[in-house]
Amino acid sequence: MKNRMKRIAALLLAGTMVFSMAACSSGKSGSKDNETSNPSDNTTGEATVTEAQAEPITIKIAWWGSDKRHEYTQQLLDLYTELNPNVKFEASPSGWDGYFERLSTQAASGSMPDIVQMDYLYISTYAKNNSLADMQEFVDSGVIDVSNIDENILNTGSINSKRVGIPLSTSILAVTYNPTVIEAAGAEIPSDSWTWDDYIALNTKVAQATGEPSALVSIIGPFGDTNPFSYWVRQHGGVLFNADGTGLGYEDDAITADYFQMWQDMSDANVAPDPDEQSQLAAVGKEALPIVTDKAATTVEWNNFTSVVSGVNDKLKLALMPSSSEGKGLWLKPGMFFSVSESSKVKEECAKFINWIINSEEANDIIAGERGTPVSSAVRDYMMNSGKMTEQQVEMFGYVDKAAALAGETPAPDPSGIAEVNEAFAKAGNSVLYGQATAAEAAATFREQVTEILERNNAAK
Amino acid sequence: MKGKQSLAKSEYKRKDNIAGYVMLSPWLFGFVLMWFLPMVISIYYSFTDFNLLNEAKIIGFKNYIRIFTVDDTFRQALKVTFVYAIFLVPLRLAFALFVAMLLNTKHKGLGLYRTIYYIPSIIGGSIAVSIVWRQIFGNQGVIMSLLSAFGIVQKHSLLGNTKTALAVIILMGVWQFGSSMLIFLAALKQIPGSLYESARVDGAKSWRIFFKITIPMLTPTIFFNLILQIVNGFRVFTESYVITDGGPLDSTLSYVLYLYRRAFNYFDMGYSCALAWVLVVIIAVFTIVLFRTQNNWVHYESGGDD
Repeated sequence: MKNRMKRIAALLLAGTMVFSMAACSSGKSGSKDNETSNPSDNTTGEATVTEAQAEPITIKIAWWGSDKRHEYTQQLLDLYTELNPNVKFEASPSGWDGYFERLSTQAASGSMPDIVQMDYLYISTYAKNNSLADMQEFVDSGVIDVSNIDENILNTGSINSKRVGIPLSTSILAVTYNPTVIEAAGAEIPSDSWTWDDYIALNTKVAQATGEPSALVSIIGPFGDTNPFSYWVRQHGGVLFNADGTGLGYEDDAITADYFQMWQDMSDANVAPDPDEQSQLAAVGKEALPIVTDKAATTVEWNNFTSVVSGVNDKLKLALMPSSSEGKGLWLKPGMFFSVSESSKVKEECAKFINWIINSEEANDIIAGERGTPVSSAVRDYMMNSGKMTEQQVEMFGYVDKAAALAGETPAPDPSGIAEVNEAFAKAGNSVLYGQATAAEAAATFREQVTEILERNNAAK
Repeated sequence: MKGKQSLAKSEYKRKDNIAGYVMLSPWLFGFVLMWFLPMVISIYYSFTDFNLLNEAKIIGFKNYIRIFTVDDTFRQALKVTFVYAIFLVPLRLAFALFVAMLLNTKHKGLGLYRTIYYIPSIIGGSIAVSIVWRQIFGNQGVIMSLLSAFGIVQKHSLLGNTKTALAVIILMGVWQFGSSMLIFLAALKQIPGSLYESARVDGAKSWRIFFKITIPMLTPTIFFNLILQIVNGFRVFTESYVITDGGPLDSTLSYVLYLYRRAFNYFDMGYSCALAWVLVVIIAVFTIVLFRTQNNWVHYESGGDD
C-alpha cells in the first residue's frame, strides 16, 4: 500500500507539473513548415513577370475577424487566384482572441505567414524586433500605389523610417446614438456642437426614463482601453504618451482624475454601467449591447460600429464626439494594416496583392467597408457613387470627411507595453468605481505604473 | 540445470524490459520533448530579457529581482493563490471524504451515484462549465435573482464584488472533488471490517469510530490527496481566466493566470519563465515541509511504528 501510494504520487506529481510548466515554452513546438521558398521571384530588378513564365507561388496570409470577414476574405483570395492563376493562398483566419499569441510564437520560430493583418496596438513591437519587411521599395517602384492615400494615415505604417505596414482603412472615434430610445425619453438628438455636459445630460435623462445605464463605451467600458481617454487628453491640450514612448505625454494628473470622476459620477447615478454590469456587457458582445437592443442611448465607438451591427439594428446614427471642436481631440486612426513578414520569400507578390486590396474597385466591392472606411479616396468616391452601399455605410463614409476636418495629428503608434498600460488603466479606473481609491489617487497610481511599464519597455537599454 | 534456468530467466527479464520501454516510448517521447526540454530551456529564459520576437538577452538575476522588489501584481497574485489553496484544499478534501463515506455503504444503484459525483471533476475544469458558472453567479444570474427574492439586494453580484468573487471560484474548485473522492473510496474499502466490528462490540459510538479508526487508517490517503490538491490548488487557471479574467480589481488573479498574461499578453516571456520557477520553488517547499511532518501524523499499517 505504502509503496504503491508513493509510486502513484510520484507519477501524478510529475504529470501535474507538466501542465504548470507547459505555458512557458509551448510556443516552441509550433510548426516550421516554410514551404513558400521560391527561388525565382525575389529579384527586384525584374519587376515584370509575365503570366507565361510566372511560377506557381503560395502566399500565406493571416487575419483576425468575424465569420463574415472570414467568408468574404476567402472570396477575395479566390478572385485574386482567378485573376493571377500562378498565385495560391494558404489562409489562417482567426478571431481577435489568440491571434497575436499565435503570431508571436510564429515570429519566434521564423514561421510567420507572408502577409499578416496588423493592428496599431502591436505594429511597433513587431517593427522593433525586425519581424516586418520594409515595403518602401515597392512603394517607390509603384507596385503599391499610394497616391490616393492621405499622407497622415499612410505614415502611421512607418516605424523608425521603415514602411512596415500599409493601412487598409481609417477609423475615427464617434458617438453612436439610438434615436428611438432618445425620442422615447423625450430627450434631444445630439447636435454636432454638443459638449460633454450635453452628453451627460442626455444620458441622465434617458437613464432616468429607462431605469438602465445609458452611456456605454463599446463592450469594454470607459477604461477598457486608452482610446477614449486619449481623445480626452488631446482635448485638454496634451497627448497620451510622450514622443519616445517612455511615459505619459501630459503633466497634469487632474486631466486623468477628471476623466475618472466623470465616469464615477455617471456610474453612481446609474447613468453608466458599473464594473459589474460592464463585465456582463463584455460577455454578451457587440450585437447584444443595450444600445442595439433599444435600451441605451449612446456608445462611444469607432465610426464603423453602425455598419458592424446593421444586421441587428439599422436605426443607429453617428454623432461627433462631445466637445470635438475644442482642442484637436479627434484623430484618424489606421483601422488595420497589412504587413509583410521579413522572413517572406515572396515579398513582391505580397505587395501586388496588397495594392490590389487597397486600390481595386472589384476588391472593395467585396469588402464593402467591413474593414473600415477604405484608405484610398478614389475607392471611397467610387463606393459612394456606386449605389451599392447601405445607409449605414454612406453615413460611416460621410462621418470620416466631417470628422477629419476637426481632427488633429494622428498620434504615434502605441508604444511597446501598451497591453500592460491598458491593464493598469482599467485597474486605476475601476478602483475609483469600486470606491477603493479617489479619482486623484487613482490618477497618481496610473502615472506611476505607466512610467514604470514604459521605461522598462522602451527606455534605451 | 539451475544455471540454465536463471539464464532463461534473465533472458525473459531482458525481453520484458525492452517490451516495457517500447510501450513506454510514446510517453517517454512526450516527456522529454514536451516537458523536460522546455523546462530546462525555461530556466535559461528566466535569466533573459525575451519577448518571443527578439533575441533573448541574458540579464542575470534581474527578472527575479524585479519579481521580489517592484512587482505589486506578483504579490497580489501570490496572495490570491494562497488564499485559494488554503480554503480549497481542506474544503475539497472534507467534502470528498464525506461523499466517499456516503458511497461506501451498500445501496442499490451505488455505481450510478459514484459516476454522477465524479462528473464535475471531468467537466468542471472545462471552458463551457466555467461560462455556466459565470452566468449563474454573475449580475442578472440565478443567484442574484434568488438573493433579491429573499430581499437581499446588493449593488454588485457575487462575481462583481471584490470580496466575494474569489469565494465563488473556490466553491467551483470544491465542487470538483471527484478524484479525491474516488481515492478515499478505494482506501475506505481497504480498512478491515474486523476493526469496526470489534469497536462496535466494545460499544464505541460512530463519531468515536470515525476519529479513532477511520481517520487514522486513512492518513496515508489523506496525505497523498493533500499533496496532490495543494499542487493542484497552486495551479488554478481556467476558473479565474474564464469566469472573472482575474477581476474585479485583480481579486481573483491567480498566479498562473498572471504568468500567462506576462507571457502571452505582455510578451514578457523571460520574466514569465522566472515567475514559473518561483512557483516551482514554492510548490517544492510546501511538498518538502509536508513530507517532513509525515512521521508525526501519517499512520502506515505496515510501518509498525506503534
